[in-house]
Amino acid sequence: MNRFILMIALFWSIGIKAQYKQLWIPDTLVGPTYQLTLKDTFAQLKTGNQTITGGINQNSFWGPTLIMYKGQQVSLNVQNTLNDSSTLHWHGMHLPAVMDGGPHQIIPPGSIWKPYWTVNNQASTLWYHPHLHEMTLEHLSKGLGGFIIIRDSQEAQLKLPRTYGVDDIPLVLTSRRFTTNNQFVVQNVAYGDYMLSNGVMNAQIGLPKQFVRLRILNAEIERGYNLGFSDNRTFYIIGNDGGLLNAPVAVNRVKLMVGERIEIMVDLSQDALNSSIDLKAYNSNQAFGFPGGEPSTNGQFGSLLNNTDFNVLHINVIASTSNPINSLPTQLINNTYLSSNDATISRTINITNGNPGGTPFNFDNSSFQLNKINKTVQLDAIEKWTIANNNVFGHTFHIHDVQFKIVDRNGSATAVGNYESGWKDVMYVPRAEKVTFVARFNDYADAIHPFMYHCHFSNHEDDGMMGQFVVEPNTSIPTQNVRQGFNVYPNPASKRVFIQLDQPDLGIYYITITDVLGRTKFMLPQPNVASGIDISQLSKGLYTITLTDNTFKQTISKTFVVE
Amino acid sequence: MQNRPLLFILLCFVLLSEGFRPKQNQSKLSPPLQLKGIDSIAMRSVDGSQSSLKQYSNAKGFIIVFTCNHCPFAQLYSSRLNALHTQYSSKQVPLIAINSMDSMMYAEEGFIGMQEKAKKEGFKFPYLQDAAQTFGKTFHAEHTPQAFVIWKDSSHYNIKYQGSIDDNGQDSAHIQNHYIEDAVDALLNNTPVNVPNTESFGCRIFYRKP
Repeated sequence: MNRFILMIALFWSIGIKAQYKQLWIPDTLVGPTYQLTLKDTFAQLKTGNQTITGGINQNSFWGPTLIMYKGQQVSLNVQNTLNDSSTLHWHGMHLPAVMDGGPHQIIPPGSIWKPYWTVNNQASTLWYHPHLHEMTLEHLSKGLGGFIIIRDSQEAQLKLPRTYGVDDIPLVLTSRRFTTNNQFVVQNVAYGDYMLSNGVMNAQIGLPKQFVRLRILNAEIERGYNLGFSDNRTFYIIGNDGGLLNAPVAVNRVKLMVGERIEIMVDLSQDALNSSIDLKAYNSNQAFGFPGGEPSTNGQFGSLLNNTDFNVLHINVIASTSNPINSLPTQLINNTYLSSNDATISRTINITNGNPGGTPFNFDNSSFQLNKINKTVQLDAIEKWTIANNNVFGHTFHIHDVQFKIVDRNGSATAVGNYESGWKDVMYVPRAEKVTFVARFNDYADAIHPFMYHCHFSNHEDDGMMGQFVVEPNTSIPTQNVRQGFNVYPNPASKRVFIQLDQPDLGIYYITITDVLGRTKFMLPQPNVASGIDISQLSKGLYTITLTDNTFKQTISKTFVVE
Repeated sequence: MQNRPLLFILLCFVLLSEGFRPKQNQSKLSPPLQLKGIDSIAMRSVDGSQSSLKQYSNAKGFIIVFTCNHCPFAQLYSSRLNALHTQYSSKQVPLIAINSMDSMMYAEEGFIGMQEKAKKEGFKFPYLQDAAQTFGKTFHAEHTPQAFVIWKDSSHYNIKYQGSIDDNGQDSAHIQNHYIEDAVDALLNNTPVNVPNTESFGCRIFYRKP
């Protein structure tokens, strides 16, 4: 009889295990040049019909992880083969606004956008995703996005798990609601019903019996995750959005809200081989205003995953690697943080509106307008921004260009959690709370192209909960007194065209190349044209090259023939 | 404001880009669709001829499938469309494939691309370019692939089925509902179409602004 019960138990456990699917680990791309092709595709996510998705390169949901090194100059070739315009934003990256991939850098179908920059960020886990105004929710929902892992010498000296996909695991959390025909719901939806970990439902992974590192990103629409392990064990936060903390922070729960990343280390060395443990979202009984805490299971603000605890990743403990990390560093890196006293400018942004049937959530009663600059920041300024949420619901606030330091919550420095003590680019602003950060706006001034700040709930952002700021140069803008001119040669050309500027000192701000029907083929921000422009991908025909100079922002055009 | 000229340039950037930015289709299928005159809409076929439904004087109805060149999900259906055409054209219900994609925006959807696709995939059915997007707008077609079964009723056509072709794009062995066959078989037998409407999905068809 006992044997019979054992058999049933065994079959039961096999049955339970069989419901899991292997966690997909995104492939990696190493620079300095990265090719990212956005494409329409589909994925088998549920039984039955396939789901229409957006993929990058060969992937059908979520893109490759870009490995970058601090100090490296990286060049991105972003080719849009979707039948819709899109953008690609390098979330968390400190770079020129014209390379940032915000709502202004629209990549039409069939175009290639070629931003480049020198990586100034320290070792960290960033990500990239579409940012087309009013379409961010739809494009993100399709699965367009990916991780960026930045490495540097400081991080390399620490004894941290660093073998990608083995003891250093990228983990993107999101959920989706499906129609009866297995298609994503992308309208009037705040939450998905089914958890997707790296695009996989019911995901499991084998992790070695040692310290492992998880780089976790919340790429949800609105849902927050109150993360913890099923045996309530302590784990250690080693990094926030912008890089490693000064020292690990021990927790057994941490809230990870939309757009935020944490790097954690968890000790599996004491776990039995072949034992299992779950990383879970303990989202039941959250305070009112926690995104995903609503009680309903359907409708716009309901979800099968609301107000409940659910699995994020099933972990099976496997044999340790040959060079395991078996201890936790007591110290990590020495960050020099900004303090409240460093700031010379203070601003307050109020979260406004959002009542059902009225104006959607926005900032200071003003919804996003593409041609309105909301804030002007001087280059090198250290500013203190307070986001005040006297509203009905929690939000996450994200600002482009900078990594900031949260200095107080509701006026209290001690109310800032140790878990969020590092460099951040997203912060949670619960209802009835004011949160203040300090940031330095250095390196990249551009009086034309703005950076964004917005709620990172993509539905709120699409509905106008976004503003934009320019970082203004400290030097005065010169009065236009010289006209730029240029020649294109050879003309006709076949592989490469060269630009000869009449006034080389004026520089080049932007070049676009369009075909005879006005379709954009290339978008080249601040290109280095010394070795010409590669046009070998262009078919025969007449093209227009439009050049904006870097000093006066004059725009002039020439035509050339590809033969 | 000091930056006004620069802001103007920024606005020009945006407007330039916005010109290329397809807007979301707001139109949901808002019945009743007026199909009056659709048989007179002439479109260029991949064989170079001008074609319209009027030429099919004996047709009892049509299987109209909006498809395109690049959409990976639409590409899954090429052989199934051939089979449908073979099965029903002899019963005076030919299949007509229409490309209503905006080829001004998406170069890949141009006529030469259509000819190449039809040749490569051995289309047995007409593949017509709806260059002005009139046909697609008349049907309120939103995706590729999206299918309609229309039936002739004295002098005009009525939509008897609209939606998906079947319920499994990639794995034809596990199709549980053959929506097109079921609808056409019912119509040929003078019986009601049991499932006249299903969800369509695939690549979005964007319409040029007038």
